[in-house]
Amino acid sequence: MLNRTNLFNRLKKYDPKFIDFNGWDMPISFEGTLKEHMTVRENAGFFDVSHMGRFNIPTDNLPILNTIICGDLTKKSNNTAMYSMILNQDGGIIDDVIIWKFTNFLILICNASNTEAVTECLTQKNLVFQNINMNTSLIAIQGPEVIRKLENSFEIPLSFECNEQFSIIFSNKIIIARTGYTGEDGIEILISHNDDIKLMDILDEKLIKPCGLGARDTLRLEASLPLYGQELNESITPIEAGFEWVVDFDHVFSGKERLISQMSSGDHKYLRKFVINERIIARHGDVVVSQDTHGVVTSGNYSPILKKSIGFVMFQSKPDLDIIKLKIRNKLIDGKLIKGKFIG
Amino acid sequence: MSVIRYMKTHEWFIETDDVIKVGISNYAQGELGDIVFITLPDVNSEYTAGTAIVELEATKTIAEVYAPFDCKVIEINLSLETEPELINSDPLIEGWLFKATINKPVKVGMNEDEYFKFIS
Repeated sequence: MLNRTNLFNRLKKYDPKFIDFNGWDMPISFEGTLKEHMTVRENAGFFDVSHMGRFNIPTDNLPILNTIICGDLTKKSNNTAMYSMILNQDGGIIDDVIIWKFTNFLILICNASNTEAVTECLTQKNLVFQNINMNTSLIAIQGPEVIRKLENSFEIPLSFECNEQFSIIFSNKIIIARTGYTGEDGIEILISHNDDIKLMDILDEKLIKPCGLGARDTLRLEASLPLYGQELNESITPIEAGFEWVVDFDHVFSGKERLISQMSSGDHKYLRKFVINERIIARHGDVVVSQDTHGVVTSGNYSPILKKSIGFVMFQSKPDLDIIKLKIRNKLIDGKLIKGKFIG
Repeated sequence: MSVIRYMKTHEWFIETDDVIKVGISNYAQGELGDIVFITLPDVNSEYTAGTAIVELEATKTIAEVYAPFDCKVIEINLSLETEPELINSDPLIEGWLFKATINKPVKVGMNEDEYFKFIS
């Protein structure tokens, strides 16, 4: 029996296609992945992401939590969100997480597939925490029109109090964060099960349409964002994934020595982005055959904005050339490694 | 009279005077999701029944379309090179894939009722 979010029956009314996503019965698409992708890029759409793990942690536990994440949460102001990674002793990524910091409590959001692993990490450190999945929903509302469409829909005026990226507010039992996983402006709302249907009614009224995990994946890839289990795992460090910017070396945390060693030697794996000009998609597991170093595609798909095939590739060591040959279903296809983001 | 028939691998074909027109079923396009790239066969190329003749690349996955008969391709739907989404929006009309000549019209596949039972 698959897990279902509290909004499963409500979402079912839109007649989506469902998939088994890490043991969760989740909508993959409603009106088609490409249409939903463009809705988020150009207008506004929402995702039920209540399958993701959510923990409420009293803020006095922050010093301990800070030892298992590579960012320094003490440097963040209250009412802000921080993207970080929980690392093992070797610097490998146990999970990538977002932490919302309030005066009295923290909300830690992790990947659905890693909820158990994160629970174990928190338990091992004797942290006080509460899993709040059973009584809350998490809705990501994303797109350039989200703020305009919703600014008068809540008691909290979005445009006044939640006006910067990564700012968060807590009021009247809901939390609104100016965060997301699509590369677009938007918000994520943590809301009690008692009120989540009301939120759905507001979204319907504002013509903000539901989007599935298919669009969530193409949006995050096009926004150059990694996905745990694809680009990130326990044998990859933030340095290898190109996420030095989330590491704060001024504090003590698990795996720090390994990251310092990798930074100084340069001797580690390298995650790179590629674009293909031919009409073919490199998929997870396809290999690079042209470089001295071994490379494997971690994610690949079609970019509706670039109208090209794009993806991530993990190299065993630093690649020498920008042009690569990918072996895709026994064809040799040219790809170009790019610096910077796919879009934006 | 030409009638549409379906294969278990979800291709449809209509045979008229030893020429078949082939596409994929509405059910198949729905299962595949958004098709973004297509590789069509070369005109005049020959295929044996059951071999892969078209490659459909969707955001979700890759799929092959199989030749329903031994056949020789005589025309491909060039519109799909720039508008592969026609396969999703109109799989039975605008989204046809190729036409081919066949030697021996043998009765293969299912009629529409049989196919709908097969997929239900």
